[in-house]
Amino acid sequence: MIIQELNAIQKRYGYLPAEELRALAMRINVPLHRIHEVASFYPLYHLKEPPIVDVKICRDMACHLHGSANLRGNLEGYGHELDEKQIRVEGVSCLGQCDHPVAVSINDCVYWGKTEDQLRSLIRVAYQREPLPRQQADRSPLGWKIDVYGGQPNYDAVRKFVADRDADGVIKALEIAGLRGMGGAGFPTFRKWSAVRGATSDEKYVVCNADESEPGTFKDRELLRRTPHLVIEGIIMAGLVTGAKKGWIYIRHEYHDELEAFEDALQQAQEMGVCGDHILGSDLSFPIDIFVSPGGYIQGEESALLEAMEDRRGEPRNKPPYPVFSGLYGKPTVINNVETLAWVPGILKNGGEWYRDSGTNGATGMRFVSISGDVNKPGVFEVPFGQTVRELLELAGGVRGRQALKAIAPSGPSGGFLPAKIPANQLPKGFIEAKSLPADRDFDILDLTLDLPTLASLESMLGAAFVVYGQQRDMVEQALNCVEFFRNESCGKCVPCRLGSQKLVDMIGEMLARRFDRSRLNAVEEVSTAMSITSICGLGQVASNPMTSVLKYFKEDLNRYFSAAVAGHSR
Amino acid sequence: MSSQNLVRLTIDGKEVAVPPTKTAYDPQFKTHVEIPTTIYDAALEWSRQNNEPNPIPILCHREHVNPVAVCRVCVVDIGGRVLAPACYRPVEEGMQVRTSATSERVRDSVKTLLQLLVADQPPLNRSHHDGNELVALAQRFQVDNSPFPPPARERGRDDSSIVIAVDHDACILCDRCIRGCNEIRHNHVLGRMGKGYSARIAFDLDAPMGESSCVACGECMISCPTGALTFRRPVHADPWQGIQPPPEQVSAQVLARHPLFEGVSEQFLEWNQGSVVRRHFKKGEIICREGEFGYSAFYIEKGSVDIFIQSPLKHVKKSASKFNWGPFGLIRRFASSLVGRNEDQREEEGESRFIHIDAPVSLNYDNPVSTLGEGDIFGEMTCMSHYPRSATVRAATDCVVLEMLRNVLYILQRNKASRALLDQRYRERALDSHLRSVRIFSELLKDESRFNQFVEFLRGKDEKGDDRVELLRLPPGEVIFRQGDAADHFYLVRIGFVKVSQARPGGEDVLTYLGPGSYFGEIGLMSHIPEIRELAPPGVRIATCTALDHVDLVRINGETFYQVLEKFPEIKEQLIKVAVEHLHENEEKRNQVETVPLSEFLSQGLMNAQSLLVLDLERCTRCDECTKACADAHDGVTRLVREGLRFDKFLVASSCRSCLDPYCMVGCPVGSIRRRNSREIIIEDWCIGCGKCAENCPYGNINMHPFEQLVPDPIDPNRKIAVVQQKATMCDLCADLPDQQPSCVYACPHDAAFRMSGAEFRRRVETE
Repeated sequence: MIIQELNAIQKRYGYLPAEELRALAMRINVPLHRIHEVASFYPLYHLKEPPIVDVKICRDMACHLHGSANLRGNLEGYGHELDEKQIRVEGVSCLGQCDHPVAVSINDCVYWGKTEDQLRSLIRVAYQREPLPRQQADRSPLGWKIDVYGGQPNYDAVRKFVADRDADGVIKALEIAGLRGMGGAGFPTFRKWSAVRGATSDEKYVVCNADESEPGTFKDRELLRRTPHLVIEGIIMAGLVTGAKKGWIYIRHEYHDELEAFEDALQQAQEMGVCGDHILGSDLSFPIDIFVSPGGYIQGEESALLEAMEDRRGEPRNKPPYPVFSGLYGKPTVINNVETLAWVPGILKNGGEWYRDSGTNGATGMRFVSISGDVNKPGVFEVPFGQTVRELLELAGGVRGRQALKAIAPSGPSGGFLPAKIPANQLPKGFIEAKSLPADRDFDILDLTLDLPTLASLESMLGAAFVVYGQQRDMVEQALNCVEFFRNESCGKCVPCRLGSQKLVDMIGEMLARRFDRSRLNAVEEVSTAMSITSICGLGQVASNPMTSVLKYFKEDLNRYFSAAVAGHSR
Repeated sequence: MSSQNLVRLTIDGKEVAVPPTKTAYDPQFKTHVEIPTTIYDAALEWSRQNNEPNPIPILCHREHVNPVAVCRVCVVDIGGRVLAPACYRPVEEGMQVRTSATSERVRDSVKTLLQLLVADQPPLNRSHHDGNELVALAQRFQVDNSPFPPPARERGRDDSSIVIAVDHDACILCDRCIRGCNEIRHNHVLGRMGKGYSARIAFDLDAPMGESSCVACGECMISCPTGALTFRRPVHADPWQGIQPPPEQVSAQVLARHPLFEGVSEQFLEWNQGSVVRRHFKKGEIICREGEFGYSAFYIEKGSVDIFIQSPLKHVKKSASKFNWGPFGLIRRFASSLVGRNEDQREEEGESRFIHIDAPVSLNYDNPVSTLGEGDIFGEMTCMSHYPRSATVRAATDCVVLEMLRNVLYILQRNKASRALLDQRYRERALDSHLRSVRIFSELLKDESRFNQFVEFLRGKDEKGDDRVELLRLPPGEVIFRQGDAADHFYLVRIGFVKVSQARPGGEDVLTYLGPGSYFGEIGLMSHIPEIRELAPPGVRIATCTALDHVDLVRINGETFYQVLEKFPEIKEQLIKVAVEHLHENEEKRNQVETVPLSEFLSQGLMNAQSLLVLDLERCTRCDECTKACADAHDGVTRLVREGLRFDKFLVASSCRSCLDPYCMVGCPVGSIRRRNSREIIIEDWCIGCGKCAENCPYGNINMHPFEQLVPDPIDPNRKIAVVQQKATMCDLCADLPDQQPSCVYACPHDAAFRMSGAEFRRRVETE
């Protein structure tokens, strides 16, 4: 209720006037601090009247590699000339347009792939209070394997379920397929569904996590826009199988086109009677609703997402209990990523084996990967698990500007960086054994097969983001960029993440300014360890990974900053 | 706690067994809930058993608040990839917990966390110990400086409050002040604002503390572990101004050694310096007087006091003599409209023999005097909930009392040792008097030895070794139980008021307010008994009971209650009889309510009225003849003193409308205003004239009358003393006069006053 009310107030006034918040507190009978806690937490809300033009420039990973910091400086200068007070230019966290850097939002309208001149004229349009033109993305299907109905809203799985009610069959198919969570954690989907199905509770819920906010990750964006019916069918199936009362999709507010595409598809689905009351005339009911996120990367963390839906600050919960036991409103809840749910119709149509057997190099299953950074053809690709880095790079047209490969980030900023060549002495034992490699040879990262167990044995992570770094890049500087992202997006709930991410940023900053003594590297390692084992949620636990991977694999880059280091630090 | 189903785990290699759950307070639903026992709870038990210090440090956690696990210094190794927060993680069978004492990983992490926190502390705060829990922990883990850079900029201070200073730089966002403000005190002022590294605490909509809705209760200050919230100066400049002779100030150091204050933080006492004074009274001096509004409670250190009701025990009689009715209605006087119970036994009136007062004793109607002695506390209800004094207290011997303000009484009620002391005192001394004053017990146990048996039984311990009678203190708004909950306890109200309500379509219906001397919760426990089985659902609560203000309850567990029924059949019989009556009434009322359409229900007070007094304000010249006439009709005191409800150009004065939610009944310090079985409101003889009900009635239908009286001195019956006595009474629309024409209407020279039924009035409003 609070969030919906705040949305309504901001829509009417363009910000949240204090008098309105006071009136709201009276109306819904909650203390002022409760409203302020929420209103001041989410980036969507303005507590003060915003300037006429509010320009936000993405500062993360791909956009960073494409000079977003320069662009920001230039536009700031331009805004300053035009109207110092009424034009504000600032940075923003990843807008999910990493394949068309640099992404920029002007008065909450997202633009991608625009030149500086184009952006200047858009700023002028906004400054003259004229309507901003909307940049619209293509919705047409691309012939993916996942799209088993060829773009049509068939809802075969729902039809079949209404007829045979075979929930066990659905779960079995997912188990055979080996479908895992595509949001990054890789938890087996059938286990989540059967846990919630088996839970005794008066109410259960399904939430589709469409809050794709990790830098370098934009594959859900494509699925939501090009195959929304698959996502909807996935949500419905999760609801029917688990006996849930209601389904939600939690979508980031910057995905305007995707939200529209999904709304259109949902309306169509409702008209067809495949969701809502009395599905296809049966006694089954399962309504689906849309919750637009008030913003923030941390909302993608499933328990933080639930907190937002329950009108609180989107701070992760301490776990256990896990959402399958105590999720939305404390009830058993399935939370699945967009892609995970979108695979469900195909698996139910073609059988679990269809999905399982499409892996390669000994891996199982398929996935969508978003490739960005220093490549010629960034974009979203449907690939089998187990494909090598070499194959992915080929798909993306190779490293930009004929550079050699320097590093990859196989899970956006979260997994840290892997170098082009991993020295033999740096290879974990488990990895050497699993891949039966000769013990004394350096490993060429191009040969790395991309699947969950392989990356785990390499003590790294496999996400949906695949960010490529060319030879020219300085990995210390890149680590700072990634750690800054985590610092910016930390919710601030727990000490290790709130303070640790800031101290890491400060220390790497000192390093880049050559004011950091090598002897203090201990402190970097200590804070990284403490963050990774004491933080409440995944954000804090991975926030130091970019820097620890630099300490491990990119000593040359690091050493450059110590040649003239001055001992001690300002205190 | 029963010894079955214990969870066994090891902490640093040594085994400990704990129950799987514990009782905690849920601030969201304002009720007590069973929550899992945590590793930290187990470590406390472990430390007791092994007589070793608790190996797990805490900073954001305290036992009296719900854990949030944000500071992470309590992390322990339970074998996973990441460490677990001991204050939050539930215990599991066979869990092997390693603390910083045995795990290097844990020790290093805690050290790093402390270094992170220390790095951001203002330089002065880092070494200054003096109650700074962060500094103490840092010393324990040998963190003397931090390898991390200091913050780039300051977060600033807030010195806007005259009592509490806020230093945002020293704040570690442990959430303790926030939970103190919202969950413990229910003041709902403090929250967190912003996000990430720039998050901080904020008042309301980030108002400066001094301009916020903060009531300066000081809970945040005493909760703060790092000195981010500190007191600026003693809170109360001089609450004792004007008291002669000036009372003796008691220093924090002296109080800290006083047995009553054992365990209360010295910091708190220091902050509240001046909130407790020692007063000496000579024999015969008045300590406090009934009807006065007070703000303090008294604790008797030495000597004894008489506590009594000085007001004449009489009520205002409504029926006037018919002979006084003259043709112009202007010269009517009642000889006296105050009558005692012996002269006028009112219909439906029970024989309440006891008067409940704000002390650990109840007064006998026939002789409303009692004595309190050393160790007794009185005036708690006045102090906590700002009620008028319920009785007059006079020194019976020379005596010494501690007089304390609300903050101090509040902390006493929360402090374990003080509570234990007061609870023990209650069991020893007050239980007897309290039970006597509960009608259902006193009337049936007229045989003194039988009554003593009953008291002794309840005073004892049950088979499990727990006290049969348990004292509970609840903050305002806490739900005691909800309609539909399983019934498990029987309750007596000692102090404060409990709202009894039932859900009905479209809202809740307040059945009654229960004040001191009432009991509740018996119906759910007796649903197996045939007479009740027919009327109530089995084993569940039929209504929701909520603490309306600071409430003290006596809780008797179901097992004990059943034993009482068995051992004392006379009580059982009476309980059943009363319960059946209540259930029938509820049933009738529900039917009544259900047949009234909602729109009419909302205006029921008017629509059900047979005779409204309506003043047309357009015709009214404010000549005040009506008021004069009212005064003449009512013993020279006008009852037409307030504006009534206004509809359009009409002002409606009405007599008591027997509200569904009779707020007038709340707060009567002696419980003399109550509902008759017919739902009509009645004011009992022992009204002390404090005016609380008149203040509470939203329709201005209760007024206070002064009466001059010569009454026997309750202490010395041979003497008579003159008093001007206030008694509450209501506008009666002159219903007792022969032609039933209200004097005010009759007297109006401008035809502006009318009398009509609710329906007539509605037609009139709609047509004009």
